[in-house]
Amino acid sequence: MTDTAAKSTDTAVPAQAHAEVAVRDLTICFRVADRGELPAVSHANLTLAPGRITGLVGESGSGKSTLALSLLGAVPPPGRITGGSVTISGVGDVAALRGEKLRAMRGGQVGYVFQASQNSLNPLKTVGKQLLDLGRAHDVDDLRGLVRRARELCELMGMDGARVLDSHQHELSGGMRQRVGIVFALVLNARVLVLDEPTTALDMLSQAAVLDIIAKVHEEIGLTTLIVTHDMGVVSELADNLAVMYGGRIVEFGPAEELLRSPSHPYTKALINATARVTGDITRAQPLPGRPPDLASIPGEGCVFRDRCAFVMEVCATVEPALAPSAGRADRSRACHAEVETVTAS
Amino acid sequence: MIEATGIERMFHAHGAFTGARVVRALRGVDFTLPEGGAVSFIGESGCGKTTLGRILAGLETFDGGTLRVDGVDVSGLSKRKRSGVFRGIQMIHQDPYSVLNPTRTVATTLAAPLKSVARRTDVAERSRELLTLVGLDPESVLPKYPHQLSGGQRQRVVIARALTVDPRVLIADEAVSMIDVSMRLGILSLLRDLRERLGISLIFITHDVATARYLGEGGELHVIYRGEVIERGPVETVIQSPVHPYTQCLLSAVPVLKGIEAPGPDRLVPRATLDAAADTPGCLFEPRCPFATEQCRHEHPSLGAQRIDGEDGSAGTQHACFHPAVRNVAAVDLHPV
Repeated sequence: MTDTAAKSTDTAVPAQAHAEVAVRDLTICFRVADRGELPAVSHANLTLAPGRITGLVGESGSGKSTLALSLLGAVPPPGRITGGSVTISGVGDVAALRGEKLRAMRGGQVGYVFQASQNSLNPLKTVGKQLLDLGRAHDVDDLRGLVRRARELCELMGMDGARVLDSHQHELSGGMRQRVGIVFALVLNARVLVLDEPTTALDMLSQAAVLDIIAKVHEEIGLTTLIVTHDMGVVSELADNLAVMYGGRIVEFGPAEELLRSPSHPYTKALINATARVTGDITRAQPLPGRPPDLASIPGEGCVFRDRCAFVMEVCATVEPALAPSAGRADRSRACHAEVETVTAS
Repeated sequence: MIEATGIERMFHAHGAFTGARVVRALRGVDFTLPEGGAVSFIGESGCGKTTLGRILAGLETFDGGTLRVDGVDVSGLSKRKRSGVFRGIQMIHQDPYSVLNPTRTVATTLAAPLKSVARRTDVAERSRELLTLVGLDPESVLPKYPHQLSGGQRQRVVIARALTVDPRVLIADEAVSMIDVSMRLGILSLLRDLRERLGISLIFITHDVATARYLGEGGELHVIYRGEVIERGPVETVIQSPVHPYTQCLLSAVPVLKGIEAPGPDRLVPRATLDAAADTPGCLFEPRCPFATEQCRHEHPSLGAQRIDGEDGSAGTQHACFHPAVRNVAAVDLHPV
């Protein structure tokens, strides 16, 4: 315990100083007919410390994928960034990039493994041909070097590089296709890796294998990694830091182990309690009432979680709590009106 | 209630180059579902667990073995009698987005089976009752179309629809894997509730050990590998002290919630990935097993060859392994109450 606390405090300070990716006060709105601009992400702050794995946890409609896409400057229309910035070190504000620079950044600095990427390979071309397409699109002169690099990455992930490059997608298993997605994301030497739901549609054993590989690649290449998922279990083992999203807001952020042990936001706490586990007392698992809000039903004012919250107070209906450092700690923050002790003690 | 012995199912595949081959999806599965009981099946994709579920629901035929429902062998039945038997066994599918007719309101969806199958006259009243039973507000849900409901609400409507014909068995095939995490436990506890209050038996098919543990509490857990049950016993015993290396690999793959759980000390990883086509006279798991020996390559272990009894003399687990050993692979709770 003291060990982790010491580790997290000494990384927290330089992390603030030079973050690999810094999302500041980011708001992404979708224009909907008759309803005006609806925020899918509202005033989000997120810092990815270099060399760390951050888990972004949220349910469907929480805005987690939209937030992750903003790292690529690829928020899908009619959505657009209406406020704040996404700064990637060595690139600058992504929202300000246009044209050729934006294209070079995608894949060049930020590698992105899309949701269901195991289904995103071209069924008519071998993996190798698609790799060459990728190289040409990015004006890579040394295509041989690119292939060599791809083979190295394949070997690193426990696959036979030559065989994989010669395969069509149907010749690879779901877990292998997911790994090919990671190869494509990293082959141009990206330093930041974003994985959107890397293990959905995989069974337990393939999931464990893919997670293992993510940890290994992250470590060996020295990446800064963001894993977006709806399942706390998927990231809890890998992630150094966790950010929990709900209704377009980041409601809690902190070192993974600590956040799971003593969640200080009512949503995080309820979510952990609502997880079926293989150990401990079964009756301790408590369902969370209600349903998560979608873009149209996110309340306009007050706290987004108040309808399902066990600690709701009068102030929650009118004032939206801001994400603020909790208990004077630089590396833990939460957005809640209730006292930390009230939430953790119950 | 349901008694299955030696259920076999083969699929005949035709590859353009590989020629005709036979895939054995189920290799002699036995189990008994007691009245009001629960049986869970776990295994990875392609192990035959969904095929088994479909056979039990009467949606698929089988090539060998016998299936008895309430003591009646279903193989020799007339079409009419057969549909009567399987009416009592309803299935809840994985994807609540595709099993509801998008052009029908919840009211119409529920009314159809109530009128034509259950032959009830109090359709409106019964619909309300069922929706309340599954935890939905009838007034707000009845006039809605599926696209106006969340995944969790849809799955509840699917459960209500299954209940219209007063089934005695519900088969849930990965019933929560496509539902938001915060609502999963709600659906699971609804199914547990139905078992407790209405005495409905449950068959739960999943790859997720944790949900099987929650839903199948007090029942039996069967671990399937390539169509064969390789370990079975009371849920809690199998999870806390598994003896088959495959069960141990499955349990080791469950992610550990860092901070509140510690990884089991003997965590196992399989040596290779699943090759469903490989044929072997020996143990099916041998190519991936970290403990395989020469014997495993040539002889096929069968279930129940050895039996380890529970420490307290209760029913123990059965397994199909030549070298069984208890290993502590499941995560350990750091804050036991």
